[in-house]
Amino acid sequence: MAPVPSSISPSDTAWPAFVAIAAATLFTVVFMWAETEAHVFAVIAAGAACAWAARRFGVYARAARIFAAREQVLDWGAIAGMLMLLAAFHEEHFPLLMTATVLLYIVACLGLNIQFGYAGVLNFAAAAFFGVGGYTAAVLVRHTAIPHPIVLLIGGAMAALIGLFLVLPVLRTRGHYSAVITIAFAILFRTFLEVNDTLGGPQGLKLPALQVFGWNFNRNFEIAGIGLSFYVNYVLLALALAAVAFALTRRLERSWIGLTLDAVRLDETAAACFGVHLARWKALSFTFGNFMIGVAGAVYALMLGFIAPSNFTFGDSLIMVSIILLGGIGNPWGVVLASAIVVVLPEKLQLIQEYRFILYATMVILVLLFRPEGLLPRRLRVYFPGWSPSPK
Amino acid sequence: MDAGLLAQFVANGLMLGMMYALVAVGFTLFFGVLDVIKFSHGDVLTVGTFAGFSTFLGLKAIGVANPWVQVAAVMLIACGAMAILGALIARYLVMPLKGAPALNVLLITLMLGTVLRESVRLFFPDGANPKPFPKLLPTDALALGSFTLRLDSAILFVAGLAVIVAIHLLINRTKLGLAIRAVAQDEETAKIMGINFTLIVLATFALGSAVAAFAGVMNGLYYNEINFGMGLLLGVIGFSAAIIGGLGNIYGAILGGFLFAALQTVGAVALPFASAYKDVFAFAVVIVLMTIWPTGLIAEKTSERV
Amino acid sequence: MNLIRTTLAALAAAAVMTGVAPGAAEAAKQKVKVVFIGPLTGGVSVNGLGGRNSADLAVKLRNADPKAKYEYEMVVLDDECKPNIGVQVATKAASDKAIIVGVTHYCSVVAISTVDTYNKFELPVVVWGAVLPEITYGHTYKEINRINGTMIDQNAVNAKFSVGQGFKKFAVIHDTTDYGKGHNKYFSENLVKNGGQILGTFGVTADQQDFNAELTKIKSLNAEALYFGGLTPIGVRVRSQMDKLGIKAHFIGTSGIMSDAFIEGLGPLAEGALAFREGAPVDKLPGGKFFTEKYTAAKYGEAPEAYGPFAFAAMTLVLDTIEKVGPDRKKVRDELRKTKDRDSIVGPITFDDHGQNTVAAITKYVVQDKKWVVWEDSEYASGKRKLAN
Repeated sequence: MAPVPSSISPSDTAWPAFVAIAAATLFTVVFMWAETEAHVFAVIAAGAACAWAARRFGVYARAARIFAAREQVLDWGAIAGMLMLLAAFHEEHFPLLMTATVLLYIVACLGLNIQFGYAGVLNFAAAAFFGVGGYTAAVLVRHTAIPHPIVLLIGGAMAALIGLFLVLPVLRTRGHYSAVITIAFAILFRTFLEVNDTLGGPQGLKLPALQVFGWNFNRNFEIAGIGLSFYVNYVLLALALAAVAFALTRRLERSWIGLTLDAVRLDETAAACFGVHLARWKALSFTFGNFMIGVAGAVYALMLGFIAPSNFTFGDSLIMVSIILLGGIGNPWGVVLASAIVVVLPEKLQLIQEYRFILYATMVILVLLFRPEGLLPRRLRVYFPGWSPSPK
Repeated sequence: MDAGLLAQFVANGLMLGMMYALVAVGFTLFFGVLDVIKFSHGDVLTVGTFAGFSTFLGLKAIGVANPWVQVAAVMLIACGAMAILGALIARYLVMPLKGAPALNVLLITLMLGTVLRESVRLFFPDGANPKPFPKLLPTDALALGSFTLRLDSAILFVAGLAVIVAIHLLINRTKLGLAIRAVAQDEETAKIMGINFTLIVLATFALGSAVAAFAGVMNGLYYNEINFGMGLLLGVIGFSAAIIGGLGNIYGAILGGFLFAALQTVGAVALPFASAYKDVFAFAVVIVLMTIWPTGLIAEKTSERV
Repeated sequence: MNLIRTTLAALAAAAVMTGVAPGAAEAAKQKVKVVFIGPLTGGVSVNGLGGRNSADLAVKLRNADPKAKYEYEMVVLDDECKPNIGVQVATKAASDKAIIVGVTHYCSVVAISTVDTYNKFELPVVVWGAVLPEITYGHTYKEINRINGTMIDQNAVNAKFSVGQGFKKFAVIHDTTDYGKGHNKYFSENLVKNGGQILGTFGVTADQQDFNAELTKIKSLNAEALYFGGLTPIGVRVRSQMDKLGIKAHFIGTSGIMSDAFIEGLGPLAEGALAFREGAPVDKLPGGKFFTEKYTAAKYGEAPEAYGPFAFAAMTLVLDTIEKVGPDRKKVRDELRKTKDRDSIVGPITFDDHGQNTVAAITKYVVQDKKWVVWEDSEYASGKRKLAN
C-alpha cells in the first residue's frame, strides 16, 4: 500500500487524465474489434507499448495523481468510456454480450472483494453463489409472475440466505481452513445440481426474456432510426448495476465499516480487543458479498437465457478469485481491469484454438511475476480525495 | 452384506486413502515451510505419472523387459524429475512472490497447473486420450469368497506405507528434518540459527513433489490407466484431506486422506440414496467436521508444525 | 499495407483480364465463411479436435475442387463443452453476417443451450455430435438440423440386441452429465420393455477416478452385463477396475466409448466390448474409404474419433447446399431442411420436419482383436467366438 501524493498543484492540468481515459476507451474498442491473429497481437503489443511510454514519460504518474485527487474524473470518465463503447458497437451483438458479461463479473467480483479484500473471509464458492442467483431467477421467472426487477433482488437474497448456512462453519474456521469449507460447498453444489433432476439436472433450464415494466430486453429496437442490438439493454442494466456496486463498495471502504473490516482482516486479536465484534462483521460482509454475487448471477442467467450446472464449477469460482488477485486485492479499480482481462482475453485467444488456455495461463504467470501485488495494488485509504493535510 | 464384501470395501478404501494421504502430505509440507497453498500439486502429480510412463516406453524401446527393473526406473525417474520440477517451481514462481499477498501464490500455481495440464494434453503424443499404464507388478489374485485381493494392490499399499514411514523418519530423525521443522516453526529464528532458508524451502518442495510423483505412479500401476486430468480432482481432495486432518503435521494429512476415502466409500455403498450423491455426502460431512473441529482433527499447535 | 494490397489487387485484375494466369481465376472466387464449433480444450477435447480436423478436411477438399463456385473459409470456435461459453461463441458466429452456416457442437448441454441463439440470429446449423433428443425435437426452429441420430434410437437397438444375446440382468454405471443420464434413462426404459432387468444403477461424476466402491457393490449383485453410459476416459477406468475386482459381467457401452483410445487404453481387456453408433459403418461405404484415405493423407495430429465422419458429412452437406443456392442464410436454411436421401459417408441423410436425420441407422460394434468390428462381420456373430459370460 504505497501512499500516493494526493495533492495536486492548481497548475496541473487535467489533460493527462482525459488522454488516459480516451486512450483506454479507444484501446478497448479496437481490441474488441480485432478479429484476426495479426490484429489481436498487434493491438496487444501496441497497448503494451503505449502503457510503457505513458509510464516512461510521466503521463501515467500525472494521470494517476489527478485520478487520486479528483475521483469523479475517473468515475464519470469510465462511464462515458463505456457509453462510447456502446455507441461504437450499438448494432454488434457479440461485443455487447462480452461487455455485459464483463460488467456482471465486475458486480460479482466486487461482492467477492468485500468478503475477500476487506473482511478477509475466503470464498472459493463464488461461482456457486452466482449459480444460486441464476437458478433462483430461472425458477421464479418460469413459474411465477413476480416482476423481474424483484426477481433479481430475490436472486441475490437467496444467495445470501444459502450463504448463511455456511456462515457458522466459516466463522469458526480461519484462513485455509475456511477455504476448504467453501471449496467443499462449490463442489457439492455443482454435483447436487447435476444429480438432482428437479432443477433441470445436467441439461439445465431455459429462461424467458427479462422484462422490466413491459419492456422486453430480448428484442432489438430502434432509436431515431438507428437499429440497436437487444444486448444494449443488458449492457445498460449491467452498467447501472456495476456503477451502483462500485459506488457502494467505495462508500463502504471509506466508511467506519471499511475501517472496521480492515481491522478484522489485519489483526483479529487486536480488533477484538478494541471491541470490534468479529463474528458480526465477518457474517455481514459474507452475506452482503453473496447478495451482490447472486444479483449478478440472476442477470447473467436471464441474459444468456440458459442455465446449467457446468457453468458453476469449482473452476469457475477459481476464475473469480483470480480476478480479485490479478487486479490487486481490495482495489475496486483492480477488479474492473482484471474482469475485463479475464473475460475478454481467453475469448480473443479463440484464434489459436486449442492452445488458448496454455497461452492465457502463461500470460497471467508473467504478469504476477512482474507485478506480484496484482495489476493495481490497493493504496492507502483516502477519505477526502484531493485533500492535503498541509495548507498550500 | 457378507464379510468378504465388507473386506473388499475396506481394502478398496484403504488403497484410495493411501493415495489421498500421499497427496495431502505434500500440501502439509508446503504449508509448513511457506504458509502457501500450491494449487498445481495435482498437476505435478500428473506430469510425474507421465514422466514415469515415458520412462517405461523408453525402457521398452531399448529392450529392458524385467518388470522389477522397469518399476524401479519408472519410480526413480518420476520422483527425481518431479523433485527437480518442484524445486524449480519453488525457486522461480513461489519464492519471488514472498512479499506479495500470500494468496497470489495460489493464483500463480493455479495458472501453472493449467500450463502443466494443457502441456501434457497438447504436447505428449496423443496426450488428450487416456493412456494404458502397464501392469508391471505381479497380478496373482487371492480370492476368498467375494473378496479379491491382487498382489499388486498389496505391494502398492505396503510401498505407500513405507514412503509414509520414510517421511516420518526424515522429518523427525534427520538434520534436514530438523531444519524443515525449524523453518516451519519460525522462519526468522531459523535463519538466525544459520539455517539456509532458501535451501530448506527448495528441499521441502522437492520432497513434496517427489511424493506426489510417487502417488501418481502408484495411481497408474493401480488403475492401469492415466490421463491428463487425473491430478485435478486428486489435488482438490488432497488439499481438503490435509485441511480436515489439520495442517499442523503430516499425520493430520494422512488421517484426512483415509477419512476422505472412507467417506466416499460409505457414500457410494452404504447410504440409502443414489450413489451419485456420494460426493455431495462426502463434502457435506467435511463442512460439518470443520465446523466441529475448526482447526482440523489434529489441531495445529502454535509451537509445532510439520 | 494498403499500397501493397492495392497493387496486388491491380495485378490480379490484370492477370484475369489477360487470362494468362490460371490460378488467378480461383483467387477471384467469392469468399464464403462457415463456422465449426466444438470442444477444443478440456476433458472431451479429443472428440472436438477430431471433429474439427474432419470438418477442415471437407473444406480443404472443396477448395481444391476447381468446380467449386466459392472459396470457403472455416472459422473454428471452442465451446469448452460449457453452455455459457457455447452461447457466447454461438452469438459470435451467428452475429457475424459473413458466416453463412455452421457445423456445431459435440456436447449435448451446449447444443441445447444454443438453439435459441441460432434461431434468434437466424444462422442455420447442422449439429454433428450431440445426441440429446430435445436438441431437434424440443422446439420448431427451422435453423437447427442434426446429422447424427439421437440417443433414443441407439438405446432401443442396444437393449433389444443385448437381451437377444442372453443378457437379461444388468447393472448400470452412467456419468451424471446430460449424456450419461440421458443414456441411462432410455436404455433402462427399453431394457424393461424387452424383458430385461436392472439390478442397480450408479451415477458417477465425469472426473471420478476410482470406481471400486460402485463396482464392488455391482459384483455382489451378480449382474450378467454392465451397461456403461459415458465417454471413453471413464469407460477405460471402469472396465479395467472391473477386471481388478474379478467382475465377469459383460461390458456394454454407448457411442461414447467408440474410439481407438478405448481399445488402446485397455489392451486385451477391451475384447468383446459392445458399442452402438448411429450411421452406417464408415469404412464399408465407398465414401468412407475415401474419407479415411484423405484424412490419413492430410496428416492431422489427432484421429478423427467416432464423430469425425459426422462432422465431415455435415460440412460436406452444408457446402453442397451453399454451392446449390448461394451464400444466403435464409436460402441455405430452407434448402438444408429439404435434404432427402442425400448420400454421405455416414449413409443417406434425410431431415424430417424437425431437422433430424431420420435414416440414422444404428450399427452394432464389437471389439475383436483390438479393432471395432461391425457385429455382423465379427467372429462373435458367426459363432466362432462367444461373448464372455
